Amino acid sequence: MQVLSYSGSQLVDLCSALLLLTCFAIVAQRRLSACVDLFALQSAFLVVTAALVAYLTGNQHIYIAAVLTGVIKVIIIPRVLKKVIDRLNVKRELVMYVNVPAGLLICGGLVMLAFFISEPIIPLGFLLTRDSLAIALAIVLIGFFTMIARQKAVTQLVGFLVLENGLFLGATAATYGMPLIVELGVFFDVLIATLIAGIYTNRLQDAFDSVDTNRLTVLKE
Amino acid sequence: MLNLLWILLGSYVVGILLPFCLPRRAEVQSLSAGVPAVVATSAGVVLGLLGLTSSGFITGSLASTIPLLAFAIRIDPLAAFFLLTISLAGLAASIYALGYVRHFDGRASVSTIGSLFNGFLCSMTLVVLADNGFFFLIAWELMSLLSYFLVVTEHEKTEVRYAGLFYLIMTHVGTAFIIVAFLILFQGAGSFSFEIFRHPNQSLPEGMRTLAFLMALIGFGTKAGIVPLHVWLPYAHPAAPSHISALMSGVMIKTAIYALIRVYFDFLGGQFPWWWGFTVLFLGATSALLGVMYALMEHDLKRLLAFHSVENIGIILLGIGSGMIFHSYGLKELAALGLVAGLYHTINHAMFKALLFLGAGSLLYATHVRNIEEYGGLLRRMPWTGICFLIGAVSISALPPTNGFVSEWLIFQSLFLSYQLPTAFLKLMLPIAAAILALTGVLALACFAKAFGISFLALPRSTHARHAEEVPAPMRVGMGILAVFCVVLGVAPMVILPLLDQVVAPLAGISIQGKVLAMDGWALAPVNVDFSSLSTPTLALLLMALALLGWGLAVTFGGHRRKRRYKTWGCGINLTPRMEYTATGFVQPIKRVFSTVYQPTVKLETEFLDESRYFAKRRRFEFHIEPIFEKYLYDPLVAFFTTLADRLRVIQAGSLHLYLTYIFVTLILLLLLAV
Repeated sequence: MQVLSYSGSQLVDLCSALLLLTCFAIVAQRRLSACVDLFALQSAFLVVTAALVAYLTGNQHIYIAAVLTGVIKVIIIPRVLKKVIDRLNVKRELVMYVNVPAGLLICGGLVMLAFFISEPIIPLGFLLTRDSLAIALAIVLIGFFTMIARQKAVTQLVGFLVLENGLFLGATAATYGMPLIVELGVFFDVLIATLIAGIYTNRLQDAFDSVDTNRLTVLKE
Repeated sequence: MLNLLWILLGSYVVGILLPFCLPRRAEVQSLSAGVPAVVATSAGVVLGLLGLTSSGFITGSLASTIPLLAFAIRIDPLAAFFLLTISLAGLAASIYALGYVRHFDGRASVSTIGSLFNGFLCSMTLVVLADNGFFFLIAWELMSLLSYFLVVTEHEKTEVRYAGLFYLIMTHVGTAFIIVAFLILFQGAGSFSFEIFRHPNQSLPEGMRTLAFLMALIGFGTKAGIVPLHVWLPYAHPAAPSHISALMSGVMIKTAIYALIRVYFDFLGGQFPWWWGFTVLFLGATSALLGVMYALMEHDLKRLLAFHSVENIGIILLGIGSGMIFHSYGLKELAALGLVAGLYHTINHAMFKALLFLGAGSLLYATHVRNIEEYGGLLRRMPWTGICFLIGAVSISALPPTNGFVSEWLIFQSLFLSYQLPTAFLKLMLPIAAAILALTGVLALACFAKAFGISFLALPRSTHARHAEEVPAPMRVGMGILAVFCVVLGVAPMVILPLLDQVVAPLAGISIQGKVLAMDGWALAPVNVDFSSLSTPTLALLLMALALLGWGLAVTFGGHRRKRRYKTWGCGINLTPRMEYTATGFVQPIKRVFSTVYQPTVKLETEFLDESRYFAKRRRFEFHIEPIFEKYLYDPLVAFFTTLADRLRVIQAGSLHLYLTYIFVTLILLLLLAV
C-alpha cells in the first residue's frame, strides 16, 4: 500500500509536470492552430491526471469529471477554436507585447514564484496529490500571463482555458476535486465562455478585419 | 387569515405573469393585469381591516438558504394600517388603470405596464409586511427598481430618461443610508430579525443610536421627499403614467413614513432625546412650507401635485415629530395624539393625492397636455372628473367636511398642547410650527383655487381643451372610490380613530380612544375636552343646513326668477379666452411677497409697431424661479463627483491587456502578501 501510494504520488507529479511543460510550449508557439493543439494535449494530460487520482483514491466522481474534461476540452473546444481560426486571415501571432524568449523567462519566474508561495502550505497537506498544488498555481499564473502577452483573441482564449486547466488541477490536488455539481457548473461555464469568445472573435474579425484585441481601444470615447 | 395572505400574494404573482401569456391586444392585457390587481388589493383591504381589529398578529416565515435572511412576515396593527392604505389606493388605481392604460397602446407595451404595476404594488405590500431586515431591504429595493421602470415608461422622451436617472440615483443614495442604519441595528441585535431588533441582547451605545436615527432619517427621508432631499419628486412623479404617479405620490412615499415609525418607536423605542423629535418637526415644517410655495409657482399640473406631496409629507412629519417630542418627555397621551394625527393624515393624503393624480391623469387623457394654462372650461366637458378633482382639492386644502380638515385639525391640536412641555424653547417652537402649518394651509388653498379655477372654469384656452371629452367609466369609478373615501374619512373620524388607536397604543404605550372621542364618538376632543373639541358630522350637517338655508332664503326673498340665457357682459366686447385670468397672473402677488424665497427672474419684451411706439405688436413675458436646492446643493455635489470621476479615468485606458495586467499584478501582490 505504501509503495502503491508512493509510486502513485510520483505518477501524479509526473503528469502535472507534463501539464506545466505544455504551458511552456504554448508560450513558445506562434502558430495559432498549434497553440490549440497544444491545449488539447494539455487537457489530455489533465484527463490522465484526474483518472489517476480517481483510481488511486477510489473517488468515483472524479472519473466523471475526467470524462467530461476529455469530451469538452480535448474534443469540442479545440474543434470550435479550429473553426474560428479557419475564418481568420492571419494564422500567426506577428507582434507580441513580450517576445518568446522573454516570455519563457518570465514564465520560469512565475513557476518559481508559485513554488515559493505554496512552500509553506505543502507540508501541511497529507494527500498524495499535494505536490501538484504548486504546479497548478504555476499553470494558472502562466495562463494569465499568456492572456496579457498576446494580442490575438484566439491565443488569449487559449490562455484563459489554460488558466482554467490550472484551476481544475489545483482543485484535484488540494481536495481531490470539488463536489460534482460544482464541477459540472464549471464545465458548463467554460464551454459557454468558449462559444461566446468564439463568436466575439468572429465579430472582431468582421469589424476590424483583425483579431487584435488592442484595436478595441478605439471603442473608448 | 393566512389564506387571505396567500390570495393577496398569489394574485399579485398572477398579475405579474398573466399579461405576458395572453394575446397582444390592449383590452385583454389591461384586463389580465387589472383583475388580479383588483382581487389582490381587495384581499389587502380585508386583511388590513382584520389586522387592525383582531388582537393577535398574523405571522409567517419561510427560511432561506442565505444566512441572516428569512422571508418573515408579520401583520401587527402598524403594518395592517399601511397595508390598508396601500390596498385602498391600489384598488382605485387598478380600476382606473383598466381605462387609462389604453391611452398607451402603441406607444408603450400595455402588458409590461400591467405586469410592473402588479409587481410594484406587491413590493410595497411586502415592504410593510416584512419582519426581517434583509427581506425588508430586498422588498424596498424591488419597490425602487420597479417604480423606476414605471417612471421610464415613455423612455423615448429625453426628460423622462433624465427624470428616471435622477430618481434612480437619489433612491439608491437613500438606500445606502438605510442599509447603514440597519447594519447599526444589526450590530446590537446580531440578527436581522425585527423581533430581535425590538429586543436586542445588548442595547446600543448612545452614539450609535443617534447615528442610526440620522441614517434612517436621511435614507427614508430621501424616499419620503423631505426638503432638501425632495428634488427628485417633481421630476419622477410627473414622468410616470398617472395611475403610477398616484401610487408613488399617494402610497410609496408613505412606506418611508412607515419605516421611520417602525425604526424610531419600535426598534429604537424606549427613550430618545428631545432633539430627535425636534429635528423631525423642523424638517416637517420646512418641507410643508417650501413644498407648497414651490407648488404655487408650478403650472404643470403633475409637477404641482408632486410638490404638494412634499408639503403633505411635511405635515405628516409635524404630527409624528410632535409625537416624538412628547414621547421623550413621557407625555404618553400627547405622544399618542401626535402619532394618531400623523397617521390619520397619512391615509388621508393617500386618498386625496391619489385622487388628484388620477384626476390629472384624466385631464391628460382627455387633452394630452399637462400645462394648466392650456386647460380651461373643462368642468362643462368633463363633469365627473371635475367634481372628483374638486373633492380632492377641497380635501388637500383642509376644508371641512373632508378628511384633510380633520387630520390637520388634529395636528394643530397636538402642536397647541405643547404648553404642557417643561422647556420654554419647545413651548415656543411648537406654536411656531403651528403657525407655519397655518400658512401652509392658506397657500395650499390658494394653489388649488388656482389649479381648479384655471383648469375647470371659464372658457377653454386651447384646442386641446375645446375638444376634451369625459373619460371612460373605469377611470371615473377609480376616482369616485377615492372621492367617497375623502368624504367618509372626513365625516366619520369616530370610525377611524379607534383603528388608529390600535396602531398607536403599542407604540406610545397608552390607549387614548376613550379620551379622544367624546359624546359617544360624535365629537373629537383631543385628550382634554375643555381645551378644544370638534364634531365633524355636526359640522357637515351644519354646512349642508347653511347651504339649504341660503338657497331657501334666495327662493323666498329673491323674488320670482325669470330664466334668461345670455352671454356674460364684457363691456360690449365679445369675451375671449385671452381675457381670462391666467395661472401665472394668479400667483403674481404671492410671488412678489415671497420673492426672497423664489428669487424670480422676470423678463418682459415688447415688440412695437414700426409706425408708432404707442402700439405694441407682440409682448413676451417670461418668468423663472430659482431652483435653490438644485443650484446651491446638488450642482456643486454633481460637479465634484464628475471631476473626481474624470481624474479616475486615467486608469481606464480601454485596453484589454492593461486591464488584465491590473488584475494579474494585484493577484501576484496579494499572493506575496499572503505568504
